Amino acid sequence: MSIHRQYELVYIAMPDSTEEQLAELHQQVATVVDRFGGTIERTEPWGRRRLAYEIGRQREGVYVLEILNGPGAMTTELDRRLRVLDIVMRHLVIRVDEVLAKESRSQTRRKSATVARRLRRGLPAEPTEQELSRRKQENDDADGPDGFGEGDR
Amino acid sequence: MSDYDKDTRGGGGGRGAAKGKDDKDKAGRRGGFFRRRRVCKFCVEKIDYVSYKDVKVLTPFIPERGKIQPRRISGTCAKHQRALQTAIKRARTLALIPYVTD
Repeated sequence: MSIHRQYELVYIAMPDSTEEQLAELHQQVATVVDRFGGTIERTEPWGRRRLAYEIGRQREGVYVLEILNGPGAMTTELDRRLRVLDIVMRHLVIRVDEVLAKESRSQTRRKSATVARRLRRGLPAEPTEQELSRRKQENDDADGPDGFGEGDR
Repeated sequence: MSDYDKDTRGGGGGRGAAKGKDDKDKAGRRGGFFRRRRVCKFCVEKIDYVSYKDVKVLTPFIPERGKIQPRRISGTCAKHQRALQTAIKRARTLALIPYVTD
């Protein structure tokens, strides 16, 4: 039993590809994922987007993002398959589980630190309505031309 | 509670004894503290993961030439500059951001 990890796959299909072709492409990805015992968690079609530079005479591309769970061998196979297909102009597979876990970890740590600090100061754990509105106002003020000539902050 | 607020503005804790002193303290800080000090944007906004998908976040760090802005100019901290670097490079392969523009 291999270890399953989370990956993000983004591929750019040719701008002139039809709906059926895109569906078929998705199907192909799904079969590979299936074969390795993985799952597709989510599919996000970004749709047609302008490319930042030309890829093979094309100025536009159809972007699709898939979030996958599966073993590492699956990514090598996906990579190989996608490279062969003519309809795919570009693709990228990256592992995301580690960074996402790290992100949520540091965010919860930060949040609990804030709560602890607030309690130590004798404030309620969550910021009150009053504080929030004041903070918002301060932020609005700080968004001035270039931050010069304002109060003591 | 209002007393507490004054204290934080004055700078260090436990210093806001007399009012006149408080004001002087503020002015001193103003002199030593350079207005345009660069701060890491990601630290300020508490962003932990810089994603290659957020083109809006990345574009301020790529000046018109298309190069990655150095830390000494943007003020990004080392940790976030590294994250930013990989994010920009990934975005480049996906043609979300240009390699070069002229």
